[in-house]
Amino acid sequence: MVSVLLVVLGFFAGLLGALTGIGGGVLLTPILAIHFGIPIRQAIGTSLVAVITTSAASSSVHLQRHTTDIRLGMTLELATAFGAAVTAYLVGYFNRSALEGLFAAFLLYSSFTILKRGGKVKPEETLATEANGKRNGGQFSIPAYEPQRYPLGLSMSLVAGAMSGLLGIGGGPLKVPLMYIFMKVPLVVATATSNFMIGVTAAASAIVYYRRGDILVEVAAPLAVGVFLGSLLGARVAPRINTRHLAYLLVAIMLYLAGSLLVHLFRGGLA
Amino acid sequence: MSQVREPAFDRIVALVLRTGAFSCFFVMLAGLIVGFFTKGRLPSDIERAGVLLMLATPVVRVMVACYLFFHEKDRKYGFISLGVLVILMLGALFGIGEH
Repeated sequence: MVSVLLVVLGFFAGLLGALTGIGGGVLLTPILAIHFGIPIRQAIGTSLVAVITTSAASSSVHLQRHTTDIRLGMTLELATAFGAAVTAYLVGYFNRSALEGLFAAFLLYSSFTILKRGGKVKPEETLATEANGKRNGGQFSIPAYEPQRYPLGLSMSLVAGAMSGLLGIGGGPLKVPLMYIFMKVPLVVATATSNFMIGVTAAASAIVYYRRGDILVEVAAPLAVGVFLGSLLGARVAPRINTRHLAYLLVAIMLYLAGSLLVHLFRGGLA
Repeated sequence: MSQVREPAFDRIVALVLRTGAFSCFFVMLAGLIVGFFTKGRLPSDIERAGVLLMLATPVVRVMVACYLFFHEKDRKYGFISLGVLVILMLGALFGIGEH
């Protein structure tokens, strides 16, 4: 039965996402398009639901550790939500091949970024702080900071939001370095805040996709159920697993999906 | 100082998100289970309710944060939250582009 298969697919995407820090949307959209024959625009809209589920579940954990900067997140959300809503609306006028091509390019880019970092998906500092937090019984010591360069932060958030609305992704790989490097926010806070923002950003575009009929509820529901369970399990086992092998597995899957999308594209687009 | 130092604020927002995620999960799961036993509109209506609940969760999160900011007399961030809320609402009101 298809819905059981979708629960299983969501489960593994959620698990891999929680373990490697790469959101499930990146994998789900192309799998839905290639293996379930769902047009890519609806695949994007449908996996956005799973993206919101993951963000809600995981950022509630970050919030309880008090590592999320709600004020910074809310401010940048002005830009991400706006960018996401605008591109989500524009996607209605994109043709399928353009979206497939963009998505394939995004998958290739993400794979090369992970490979360049030698399979480290999470930067060292996050790991160190996380280990520290565990020693102190879940309390994180965050150095005092003041976010810098809001104009730059807002304009890059607009781009991150636009990418999110276009491809149905969270945009963490763009927002975390933005906050950490340019806005001088500690890495733990940047990671937690990026995660926090994903829910609202994805909702801004998902609402537009929904109105256009681009969210297939009978696909979204089993996927989200699986993703929810997978990310819960992933968050529990994450500290005991060598993420480097998983990162290479992820790269292999992403390269395969990018290749399949490109094949579709040049054959005239099956999906 | 932008850094959050209000545990109660974090806890309330976390509660909103967790309630949203868990209730969606159970509603969608119910839809799936019902779908195994009956055919027709019921299962997909339940699943639709779950999806809508999921889309509403971030919106409610912004509403709650907005209320909390104004309650704390932090008007600047209250208005920022209100701005985010307006953007989310615009998407819901102008669902143009239907083909």
